[in-house]
Amino acid sequence: MSRHKILVRVNGGVYEREVEARRTLLQFLREDLNFTGTKSACERGDCGLCTVLVDGVPTKSCLMLAVEADGREITTIEGLAKDGTLTRIQQAFIDNGAVQCGFCTGAFILTTEALLRRNPDPTEEDVKEAFGGLLCRCTGYRQIIDAVLDAAKRK
Amino acid sequence: MTGVPLPEFDYMRPLTVDELSAILAKHKGEARLMAGGTDLIPLMRESVLRPKYVVDVKGVKELHGITTHDGGVTIGAAVTVNEIVESEIIRKKFTALWSAAKELSDQTLRSRATLAGNICNASPAADSCPSLLVLGAEVEVVGAHGKRKIPIAEFFKGVKRTALAQDEFVKAVHIPNQPAGAKSLYSKWKRSWGEDVALVGVAALVSGKKVRVAMSSVAPTPVLVPEIGNVFYGEGTLEEKIEKAAACVPGGICPINDVRCQAEYRTHMAAVLTKRVLRELLGVKK
Repeated sequence: MSRHKILVRVNGGVYEREVEARRTLLQFLREDLNFTGTKSACERGDCGLCTVLVDGVPTKSCLMLAVEADGREITTIEGLAKDGTLTRIQQAFIDNGAVQCGFCTGAFILTTEALLRRNPDPTEEDVKEAFGGLLCRCTGYRQIIDAVLDAAKRK
Repeated sequence: MTGVPLPEFDYMRPLTVDELSAILAKHKGEARLMAGGTDLIPLMRESVLRPKYVVDVKGVKELHGITTHDGGVTIGAAVTVNEIVESEIIRKKFTALWSAAKELSDQTLRSRATLAGNICNASPAADSCPSLLVLGAEVEVVGAHGKRKIPIAEFFKGVKRTALAQDEFVKAVHIPNQPAGAKSLYSKWKRSWGEDVALVGVAALVSGKKVRVAMSSVAPTPVLVPEIGNVFYGEGTLEEKIEKAAACVPGGICPINDVRCQAEYRTHMAAVLTKRVLRELLGVKK
């Protein structure tokens, strides 16, 4: 099996590692770099809980090989708050009760980051469309959608 | 279970069509191409596929980009489904493909999934395929012995089987310009608001009296239902013709029962969607 040298930026840090061809980006982030805020669940692209931003684009990290991340910039949930200060999206999730068990929260917040960068004033339909590939088994989604619409107002 | 690794393979990333051709000519059945990986990686995880070589095609420049020309539009094999959703030309002129792209899985997955991957995976449920059938797309294929074009209607050979030889790969999908005034649309029936595999998908194209309807998830391959075309050259009001078209549906498909729904329900919904899509395209109110 081939092994590959990769250089990846994660949350502003630069990581140079050698990875097996079969290593997924999810395994690389959690096990090699210890960014365990990226959650592992179905590992087949259904639940979306392993979503990270790759060059700003929400990406299911279980469906991407680590070797494909060579030269790319990755943002995980650990990369958002600066010096302990939450982002307006993180704060809006807390204020709207959008966090219950928390397992899906990182994926929803990162997807929201990308959505609001692209579309600062989304409709409820836009939010639902962006969340099409994310599962939450606690909230019934209502609070999460409210949190996004609220975050958009907090410019 | 992040502890469970994928089966072992070698990863290759060619940068030109020639390099890609040479890899396939050498390794044939032992190599699998990967664009977005959204089908390949789950299939490897379930050990349905155990390729010795995974060949990432995204490095090949010639496979990128949507280009328009006098004959129509050409979509490179590495073009993602989101690029299709963002294309104004495809939205306006090839609406069936655009609406199928918007229904394919979810927005996050669509940033990696490709049109070429969707056809090469050859799932009976593939969302893009009914649209390509009604639009009369052609698949540009490159192999060790040269190039050829395969009409999309001859591309699917069975569940997960295509007309591609082991040394061949899809370079692009061509969609010909449609006659002035032609309109097309895809409609998908699924169980949940977000991502789901189609229970039934119906695409239709209407151009004057010419009507074409194709479907996914109702046969071993995506299928055209040619009998529907004949109905619109006959007698009757548009509403009567739409009813006759729906009556052709059960005879043109052979759905199965599976975990998602019963064959009987698929047959029923295929006729319902056919009527809905045709009414929309023909401007018939119900």
